[in-house]
Amino acid sequence: MRAPLFVLWAAALASLAVAVPALGQERDQPLEVGAMAPDFEIPAATRYGVLRDPVRLSDYRGKTVVLAFFFRARTRG
Amino acid sequence: MHAYRDQYAQLFRNGRDIVLVAISTDTAEDLASWARDDEFPFLFGSDAGAAVGKRYGAFVDRASGPLDNRTLFVVDGEGRVAYVAAPFREIDPTAYEELGEALKRIAPPADEPAN
Repeated sequence: MRAPLFVLWAAALASLAVAVPALGQERDQPLEVGAMAPDFEIPAATRYGVLRDPVRLSDYRGKTVVLAFFFRARTRG
Repeated sequence: MHAYRDQYAQLFRNGRDIVLVAISTDTAEDLASWARDDEFPFLFGSDAGAAVGKRYGAFVDRASGPLDNRTLFVVDGEGRVAYVAAPFREIDPTAYEELGEALKRIAPPADEPAN
């Protein structure tokens, strides 16, 4: 009886390890006013080329930042 | 993004005290070349796999993979969401009027005399 219990435990732990980060990071609905904006670090570019350093939201603490998500480059949307 | 470009001076004060970051799942190289061709004066972020869009609730699943969708957030100096337009109605002029009002409230222009 011990082996199946152990297997169940391992399976439960494994599913938690996968599910918890996903729950914490993925949202179906947009963040609402008043929420802390999650920090991020992503490659950045301007019309002069790709920047050497990635951009972090926390780099702009103290400033107002507009994050404009859009579908695709070279589209009107 | 063209409307943002055309209103950059008026709406975003040429980036003087407002930082505009346009984010999509395109590579940084593709974003740079588009920004060069169409003379976008602001910063672009490359969000591979829509990882940031997912954390902000600003993505859509497509057969080809997740994409960031048209959503706009204004984040104040303390890192808090102060305005949300979901979806941001890119072709609707009133969307820009509302955004302009929100930005005046969240980041009052420094050169405007205080009451």
